[in-house]
Amino acid sequence: MSETSMKRHMGLRASRAISNTLIYVLLIAISIIWLIPFFCIVLQSFRVESTWQVGYVIPKQWGFDNYVNLFSTDFPRWYVNTFITAVCTALLQTVIVLCMSYTLSRFRFKMRKPLMRFMLILGMFPGMLTMIILYRVLKDLGLTQANATPGLILVYVASSGMGYYVSKGFFDTIPKSLDEAARVDGATRFQVLKKIILPLSKPIVIYTVLTAFMGPWGDFVFARYISFGASAGMNVAVGLYNWLTPDQINKNYTMFCSGGVLVAVPVTLLFLFLQKYYVEGVTGGAVKG
Amino acid sequence: MKKLLAVVLTVAMLLSLVSFAAASSLAGEYEIKVWVADKIKDLTEKQIERFNETNEDGIKFKAVVESQGEGDAATNMVNDVEAGADIYCFAQDQFARLLTAKALAKLGVKAAETVTATTDEGAVKAVTTGDGTMWAYPLSADNDFFMFYDKSVIPDEDVDSLEKLVEDCEKAGKYFSFDLKNAWYNSCFFFGAGCKSEWLTDDDGTIISVDDTYNSDKGLIAVKGMKKIVDSDAWNSTSEVSAFESNSAIVVSGIWYSKDAQKILGDNYGVADLPSYNVDGTDYHLTSYFGFKLMGVKPQEDKVKAAALHKLAQYLTGKDCSLDRFEAVGWGPANLEAQAEEAVKNDPTLKVVNEQREFSVIQSAIHGSWWDIGKVIAEEIQPIAADDVDGLKQVLQNYENKMAAVFTMSSAEKEAWTVIGMYNEADGFFFTDYSDGKETWTADLAMVKGDNGIWKTEQAWPMEAGVEFKVRQGKSWDVSYGNGGDNFKVEEAGTYYIVFDEAATTISLEKAE
Repeated sequence: MSETSMKRHMGLRASRAISNTLIYVLLIAISIIWLIPFFCIVLQSFRVESTWQVGYVIPKQWGFDNYVNLFSTDFPRWYVNTFITAVCTALLQTVIVLCMSYTLSRFRFKMRKPLMRFMLILGMFPGMLTMIILYRVLKDLGLTQANATPGLILVYVASSGMGYYVSKGFFDTIPKSLDEAARVDGATRFQVLKKIILPLSKPIVIYTVLTAFMGPWGDFVFARYISFGASAGMNVAVGLYNWLTPDQINKNYTMFCSGGVLVAVPVTLLFLFLQKYYVEGVTGGAVKG
Repeated sequence: MKKLLAVVLTVAMLLSLVSFAAASSLAGEYEIKVWVADKIKDLTEKQIERFNETNEDGIKFKAVVESQGEGDAATNMVNDVEAGADIYCFAQDQFARLLTAKALAKLGVKAAETVTATTDEGAVKAVTTGDGTMWAYPLSADNDFFMFYDKSVIPDEDVDSLEKLVEDCEKAGKYFSFDLKNAWYNSCFFFGAGCKSEWLTDDDGTIISVDDTYNSDKGLIAVKGMKKIVDSDAWNSTSEVSAFESNSAIVVSGIWYSKDAQKILGDNYGVADLPSYNVDGTDYHLTSYFGFKLMGVKPQEDKVKAAALHKLAQYLTGKDCSLDRFEAVGWGPANLEAQAEEAVKNDPTLKVVNEQREFSVIQSAIHGSWWDIGKVIAEEIQPIAADDVDGLKQVLQNYENKMAAVFTMSSAEKEAWTVIGMYNEADGFFFTDYSDGKETWTADLAMVKGDNGIWKTEQAWPMEAGVEFKVRQGKSWDVSYGNGGDNFKVEEAGTYYIVFDEAATTISLEKAE
């Protein structure tokens, strides 16, 4: 029996039901695989009968000890460092990116195209290449080790101008006639940005804030280099990683898990509340008007 | 009267000198950074506090103690010596790397004498280079590996035989955790059979060659022994003691996990030196690496601070502090007096450490590539049948080939000509290892090949009259030229390129414009 005749035989509804079932089974399997590590970490963070890794998932004794003990370590310090870095970066980077996108979208000046091309090429170099030089520069400025937080903010913000693509694309979709009308009524360029463009581009602003916040929040490589062993300058990723060295893993493993859960909280909250805008932001920039 | 006055004044002056000498010139407050393992971080803070209160020189340290495991400390120091800690702990095998990076300060004559007199002989050797200079303070003498086991599964009488242990684990359906996918652990089979693997360094601590006999009849015995465990379903390649929680009965690991293993196993905590394996009727006792943990002082610009730091390092590695660490985290002291304490002598884990030390090889500098070359042996022999001698030999041959490649220069490097010569006053770092001042004939200056076999230095260098040098090929003295048999000598001071004509084998100087 050929395939088409089989489909006819089963009927449209039946075949759709089968394909839906298959898809759902697949999706459920994938999401289980994807969720298991998170699930384990959350459970391990509540395990209090021992502090090392064990061969079972469900704790034998439940409790909040791991969370309470976190506060007698350097964890709060790392958390604050990360938070300051992420918030400052999110604010500064958003301002810079929006100004950049607005300029490149609305202004026409001589070097506009070459500048955009130049930045495109610059963006092709992996950022890690600059790590050693940046380390040197920051060290000479005194912004490494215990003072790593301002140093990191500087590094993250300094390159942010180049991330204008998505928001420029979005701004391009807003009709220019709106600007022109406002200009005719006597608005300045800044007023146009503030009163016309920004209210229309809420999704893209939120998208920019979110991505700017996420970068520093999870950064490890740069942060590790720049904090260079000084606990006072570490972010959560670097600090928590140290708990997994042979020296500390058996003492701090469950605390590591609870730290991991706390790290995930702000990001999860942000996404839960801003998810609607996030999706619009990502897709909105792609539509050319 | 005048005479009396003179005498009084002289005495007064002498007294003032004496009292000046007594209130040591080291007195003062110093800000320092210290890296130690997390386990002893709080303890070290207390010990430095105690040093501040008790030292007779009036030294006060304001110390920032950061946790930095002995394994990582060297890597971080080498990355940026300047930003590294003033005092830091490291494992013995990192010694050569740190020397090369100039991250260790020499011990003074007195300090060296004290350390030699009060410290474990092997440890003293570990911190001394060929010319008799000492570079670090031995912190502990306990870095080997041995066996933690679960007494409820493994009968005590079986712990001497690898075969019996494997059998016990198989019978009980438990794992035998032995991290043979790690060169450090699997080397014990080779050393047990009598193989050698020693890396040789020059005076700077750079590794220049290796004396390795893995690929031999003894090596064959070793892989046959290793087969006995890697062929078993009970084998699990890890050295984490938390493996006891996931169905292991034995974990081969070291002193750093002794307290954790005691916590996990409770009353069933068993500890023993490594077992023997039997090949063709002969027993071979597994022979681990043995190393010391060391404490280093970073070279300082301020000589006074350097002296104060050396005092602190000496204190921290002395008897009292060693005993503190023994009590807190179970580390075996390198200090002889501390070793002689009853509590230390009778500690069951340290007893095993010392029993294993009888069957051990001192771990000195190891080339970074060895870890990857060695770790694959266990996996490579696994699919080969135990009686397939040729197959096993091939694994050893692969190992030897990879080891040989470590020191093979590329043919371009072998053919290249370089300049080597004496110290040049006009320019402090020409011809010389420039971090260390006036050493001569130590560093090769690269030349670039031009047309017609003419080699030339990449840049012109200021030279003074009387400077001597030669050019040589492949950085070895097998082929070298100067002026006839003598060195080439600069007649007139100036800034020159050095030019070497490969065909005519003549050297000339070309004045820079």
